[in-house]
Amino acid sequence: MLLREVEYAKPRSVAEALELLAANDGARALAGGQTLINVMKARAASPDMLVDLNGLDDLKGIELAGDGTLTIGAMATYTELMASAEAKARPILGEVCATIADVQVRNRGTIGGNVCSNDPTNHLPPLMVAVGARMTIAGASGEREVSAEEFFLGVYLTAVGPGELLTRISIPAGKQDGFAAVTLGADGTCIANAAATVNGTVRVALGCVDAVPVLVTADSADGVADAVRAANLMPPSDVHASSEYRTHLAGVLATRAAQEASAR
Amino acid sequence: MTRASETTLAPAPVEVQKGWGGQSVRRKEDKRLLQGEGVFVDDIKRHGMGYLHFVRSPYAHAHITRVDVSAAEAIDGVYGTLTGEEVAALTDPFFQISSVPGANIKDYSLAVGKVRYVGEPVVAVVAETRELARDASELVEVDYEPLEAVVDARQAQDADTPVLHEDAGGNLMWSGLYSWGDLDAAFAEADRVIEIPELHFHRFNSTPLECDGALVEYNRGVSQWTIHTNNQFPGFAAIMMGPAMKVGLDKLRFVTQDIGGGFGNKITSHPQLVVCCLLARKLNRPVQWTEWRTDFHLSMSHGNERWFRDTEVAVSDDGTLLGFRTKALDDAGAWLRYEPLGGVIWAQVTPGMYRWRHIELEFTQVATNKAPVSPNRGYSRMQHLWFTERVIDIVARELGLDPVEVRKKNYVRAEDMPYETPNGCVYDSGDYAAMLDLALGLIDYPSIAGKRAEAQERGKLLGVGIGSTLDSGTNNFGQSRLINPELQFSGNNEVATVKLDIFGEIVVTLGTTPQGQGHETTAAQVVADILSCSPDDVHVRAGHDSYWNSHAGFSGTYASQFAVTGLGAVKGATEMLAAEIKRLAGAVFGGVPPEALELADGGVRIKENPDAFLPFMACGAIINANNAGLPEDLDVTLNCRYVYRPPFEVPDVETKTGNLTLTYAAQVHVAVVEVDPETGAYEIVDYAAVDDCGKRINPQIVEGQVMGATAQAIGAAVHETYEYDEDGNLLTPNFYDYHVPHALDMPPLATGAIESPSPFTPLGTKGMGEGGGAGIHAICAAIQDATGQVVTDSHNPYQRVWRLLQEAKA
Amino acid sequence: MDVSVTVNGTTYERDVEPRRLLIHFLRDDLDLTGSHVGCDTGNCGACSVILDGVLVKSCMLLAVQASGASIETVEGLAEGEELTPLQQAFNEHHALQCGYCTPGMLMSATALLRDNPSPSEDEIAKALQGNICRCTGYWNIVDAVKSVAK
Repeated sequence: MLLREVEYAKPRSVAEALELLAANDGARALAGGQTLINVMKARAASPDMLVDLNGLDDLKGIELAGDGTLTIGAMATYTELMASAEAKARPILGEVCATIADVQVRNRGTIGGNVCSNDPTNHLPPLMVAVGARMTIAGASGEREVSAEEFFLGVYLTAVGPGELLTRISIPAGKQDGFAAVTLGADGTCIANAAATVNGTVRVALGCVDAVPVLVTADSADGVADAVRAANLMPPSDVHASSEYRTHLAGVLATRAAQEASAR
Repeated sequence: MTRASETTLAPAPVEVQKGWGGQSVRRKEDKRLLQGEGVFVDDIKRHGMGYLHFVRSPYAHAHITRVDVSAAEAIDGVYGTLTGEEVAALTDPFFQISSVPGANIKDYSLAVGKVRYVGEPVVAVVAETRELARDASELVEVDYEPLEAVVDARQAQDADTPVLHEDAGGNLMWSGLYSWGDLDAAFAEADRVIEIPELHFHRFNSTPLECDGALVEYNRGVSQWTIHTNNQFPGFAAIMMGPAMKVGLDKLRFVTQDIGGGFGNKITSHPQLVVCCLLARKLNRPVQWTEWRTDFHLSMSHGNERWFRDTEVAVSDDGTLLGFRTKALDDAGAWLRYEPLGGVIWAQVTPGMYRWRHIELEFTQVATNKAPVSPNRGYSRMQHLWFTERVIDIVARELGLDPVEVRKKNYVRAEDMPYETPNGCVYDSGDYAAMLDLALGLIDYPSIAGKRAEAQERGKLLGVGIGSTLDSGTNNFGQSRLINPELQFSGNNEVATVKLDIFGEIVVTLGTTPQGQGHETTAAQVVADILSCSPDDVHVRAGHDSYWNSHAGFSGTYASQFAVTGLGAVKGATEMLAAEIKRLAGAVFGGVPPEALELADGGVRIKENPDAFLPFMACGAIINANNAGLPEDLDVTLNCRYVYRPPFEVPDVETKTGNLTLTYAAQVHVAVVEVDPETGAYEIVDYAAVDDCGKRINPQIVEGQVMGATAQAIGAAVHETYEYDEDGNLLTPNFYDYHVPHALDMPPLATGAIESPSPFTPLGTKGMGEGGGAGIHAICAAIQDATGQVVTDSHNPYQRVWRLLQEAKA
Repeated sequence: MDVSVTVNGTTYERDVEPRRLLIHFLRDDLDLTGSHVGCDTGNCGACSVILDGVLVKSCMLLAVQASGASIETVEGLAEGEELTPLQQAFNEHHALQCGYCTPGMLMSATALLRDNPSPSEDEIAKALQGNICRCTGYWNIVDAVKSVAK
């Protein structure tokens, strides 16, 4: 509960936030804080400065373009996304967010925070990969866009570099999505999860089995189990699941997510 | 999440309830708690107090080669530190309950020379703020020489296993052979001997939401410590701390108010309290310690992990149980803080609920490099009752019999009550078969076959399981002599005082330390019935203070006994007060004999002449402030103290027999689960809990205990476990990985109750609250039913169920 | 850093370290000890408060982040001695035992009922998912909340 000493800055613009992050090596962006503050309580991480992104309206908002592309501000909370009429264009997003943790966490926790923390048990990294999201990253030299597949680099590691911020996520139009998970209690931490999208082919992204979501594709839901087998997963063992059990769950959940997506 | 209303069956003959006892009176405690005005230990502040933070061991087993606190002490705002070396100089090791070899270990309040589990306190740092204390603790330098860790109790006694306590000469802490009846005859008579190679009861605890804590003040002038704490058994803490600190018990004043849950887990905080005391004296300032959640998980009061090995069960073909033999192996963790009492507590319920007459159990307890075990709701009986229930279901499976019928055939029968077990315990009352019928009715047992088929159509495996269990209450502390014949403990006691104050206020002081059990309310109900007033008129003081006269040797709230010992004391004191009021009134009325008087309407009156009425206010005023002219021989103070002492004998240490507890509340739970065969994930789709704790003073409070214990059992059965890796690191050190049930995890629940009054207690009540183990038994049985595989572990996360299904396929 | 917050209608100004969590600020700096600490990982919800109308866990927020905000805690629910219908329902339904989780539980239920005055049982359970109770098994808490639903 007791953090190490830390400086606190509350920028008034994205530009100011980027300056602060660039000027201080030990600075970290503070989004909803529902992961970072806990990590700091455990003193597992101790940034020198927290750059609070709350209150930056440019990072908020959920918009739906004429072509069906959904743009989600990185600081949109889960609760905001669940309530957003625009976000209903891709129903899976709100449905998955509604199963993340609890009301309090969903009220503060952000979409950007979920993907940027890239904990392998998080819900959104595999979902973003499955739906083919594109992430916009801002830095001193302007903005760049990367695909979700390129975004997730390792455990707690993403394409957002020092002095950079994830500003928004774009998700193409689509409806045929599915998500399946085995969790530690209802709405609990995922032991294994899978997100699927059908768009001609079936794309399934598997969570909890590697440092980053593992993407497999198949012609139909029936082929997903074989595709997972072919991926030769080597998931980690932990107190909740052995590598063998996780591998098995990945196959089952991938098929279920694909079946759900196909059935929509 | 839905809940069916309670069904109550009262087997005849039961006296009709009159008055306040038996009513679900609203709790007196609630108002302050609902307004955020409770006083929990971390809420207490004192001028100039310092916050204590423990430096804890990162190693499961290591020699400490150097401790340097100078950098920490150099920081502004750091008040001081305490090291193991200082503790060893200032205190004696804690008294050990065990006989040898466990008796030889040397347990201090901080690690001395060696650490024996991850999270063991090594140094304490006190500073001006919580944050600063933790900052400074990071500057304490400790050098360690790591040793190999012992994490599997089954290997603890192997020749090449490292030894935790050199003083004990090995990792064996205590062992004893219990044998009752004629085992050879039973096994000779048996049609079948069923062998069960190994059963394992896992490590978990109740994780009260409030962790341990204390605020300790030292009064230099009188050399006395005032310990504001949430320790739930000050009587035990005092017995441990006084000799270690080399002071009389009067120098240790324990004060509690609201306690945020205990469940047994708050009994053994005495080492931390000693550290607070030493620092309060050393630094001459109040010292505040609040344990963090991770600290609690790492170090506090894990439940006893136990194996049952080489079990043999003698049975007849018709399912009659004749006897069993087993070897229980208990993992005590690194220290014996309440242990090895777990090595005898189980014997309160030796045959479970069954008429086994021939039983042999070889009990061994070993030390490992894990957190010390200590009481946890259902302490030691839960492990043993899980074993007997597993045996029943395994026997039923082996013989192809219905688990319902095997239970009914072997349950101790209502007509046999009071029933003496093979080891001399006396089950006071109950009708277990009727409870089972009630529980089965609550889940509509006849519908199960249809539901099973319907689940199968959905690709799910449905299973139903029964857990029957005893909640033995009111310990005879004489059982400690079966562990160590040298000990001079026996019996039990609890105290209450009831007085009439100047303005007629009825004031009750309890010796107990409630943690949510509603003692203020139920005590007021008992008092109101005797004094013929309303519970609203009864002021029950919140909390415990050992400084005043409401403290007996075994004071505290633990081991299912308040309704017997606590309320027995309240009843005794109130009856004394009632008699005194009548004697006083008799004198005031000019020599009216007590039998001509009665209490009514907040006063005392002459039965034949109700106009001759003396209100309590007048009684209190006369005795306390207007007593001139009262007869010289009128021995009345209107301030009555009563110590309730249950009727116990010292057990026979040779035969290990005797009555170890006074009452036996019982629970029968039934769980219905649906297993997803592809993942092993399962859901509890229906659940019934039936309880019989004798006469219920407040049925709503009793039902609340039943529900809470059920929820804890569900958590333990499915998700909760203290699991260690091979290096002795705890893998579930917080609520993130140690998943306790949340609201969405709860199944539909139907509760039922039977009242079989205890013939042995002042109010017909039995202690209760610890029957939740039944839930673990029921869920294990349901999984066995659903998967068709023998369940050998008390903890069945989805992964283990999936593995069972793989074994079934293989 | 200077922090100014309004808690239950009273404005407090304090100088706090940026690292101080809102829960410790409420408990240690403002002596508002009704909100509790039951974990150190953001799981238990005993510290739940309503911040500018939004239910949050005050252990996952720095005190400085709350500057300028209006906070509601358990101490502010009842009007003087008069308990709210929800508090009374907790008493009637025996929805608390030790009372340690109760302040957070009340804040979560209060936030739910403002949002959705007629919640179903499932919606109530979902709304209380972020609050751990180790005494009651939740059944009576859900019953209590349901009893005041419109």
